[in-house]
Amino acid sequence: MKINVYEMIGENCITLEDGQRIFEMIHHELTDGNAVELNFEKVTVVASPFLNAAIGRLLKDIKPDDLNRLLKITNLVPTGLAVLKRVIENSKEYYSNPDVRKAVDEILFEQSESL
Amino acid sequence: MKTTLSIPTINDYTTADFDVLFKLWNQVNNDNMDVTFEFSQCNFLRHNAVAFLGGLTRLIQTRGGIGRFALNSIPKKVKANMDENGFISTLGFGGAPRTGNSIPYREDSHQSEAVLVDYLKTKWLGRGWVLVSERLRDAIVGKVWEIYANAFEHGKSPIGIFSCGQHYPKHHELKLTVVDFGVGIPSNVRLFFKHDPRAQSLSAASCLKWAFQRGTTTKPNGTSRGMGLDLLKEFVKLNNGKLEIFSHEGYAIIDKTQEVFMNRQTFFEGTLVNITLKCDESYYHFVSETSDEPLF
Repeated sequence: MKINVYEMIGENCITLEDGQRIFEMIHHELTDGNAVELNFEKVTVVASPFLNAAIGRLLKDIKPDDLNRLLKITNLVPTGLAVLKRVIENSKEYYSNPDVRKAVDEILFEQSESL
Repeated sequence: MKTTLSIPTINDYTTADFDVLFKLWNQVNNDNMDVTFEFSQCNFLRHNAVAFLGGLTRLIQTRGGIGRFALNSIPKKVKANMDENGFISTLGFGGAPRTGNSIPYREDSHQSEAVLVDYLKTKWLGRGWVLVSERLRDAIVGKVWEIYANAFEHGKSPIGIFSCGQHYPKHHELKLTVVDFGVGIPSNVRLFFKHDPRAQSLSAASCLKWAFQRGTTTKPNGTSRGMGLDLLKEFVKLNNGKLEIFSHEGYAIIDKTQEVFMNRQTFFEGTLVNITLKCDESYYHFVSETSDEPLF
């Protein structure tokens, strides 16, 4: 499956809602083991809400190795690619470590240290 | 109760300038439903004050009160600036916006990304006063969008988002203030940790610091989010910009040399973001990314 992101969304790929649209188109294809290409040609503005919803969320139930094999991202501007790499990094951590209590411990510890 | 609130000269040099605005919010919040803003002591009103006063006026009106400007009290120079950025006309106090050096005042009750991106590209960055390539312009817009995305996604502002920018040629700086009158970042962070009874004792500064960390989010379930502030922080640090955030008693200031989170005396329930960028491409550095290695 090849998706021209510009034709689907336009030149600004920045909102959660638009990211969700792309996610819904590609998620089943990928879980079924089919290859997907997201072509970002002519997309000019990219932001993390879009990339989180469209791509980061895939890591919830698809293994990184499978995504490397099946999902091809093409023609994304270099600054957009930098954001995407961060999105992927964060998503991996988010879906592997949902330990909320530990987070409160850390903040309270830092708070007491700074007093 | 009928009240007249005097607006002094308001800059964005120090936190004291913002305190003036937050004290006005506190006064309005204190049952003042018929408020006249009076400007005889005001010699200049920066973009931060314009965005905030616009929101404050709408807040009063939305609550069924009356918020008005004593137009005759506004000094000529201040009035000219208010006319130019469309502040007076947008609030329905007459006139029409003129083209000048100001960046228009905006009110956004819902997220209309195409309109906002166009505003940032053409009215804020694209007026010939910022020497940047098209590609850098698009990258800056993507980063600044994170401010709006956070405000729309998390702000829960009943009256929308208010913004105003200004170009300061002397300092080669471009500024933008985005303010919402919602629940504030500390409230969202404490709500997110509500299962832990200790969450209520988290200070506003600690909550802000947490919100700026990589990968944190107050969005429950589903999608990992919350990295917008983290990306924005990196961007201003790398490119000689400055980012200030006020929410509840919490205050954050981030630039190349510092990253400070502190608690202050003055309380403002919503969130105000003030960003300063340099106006020359030579200030900017972007990591050059290639896609040769595996992404995931």
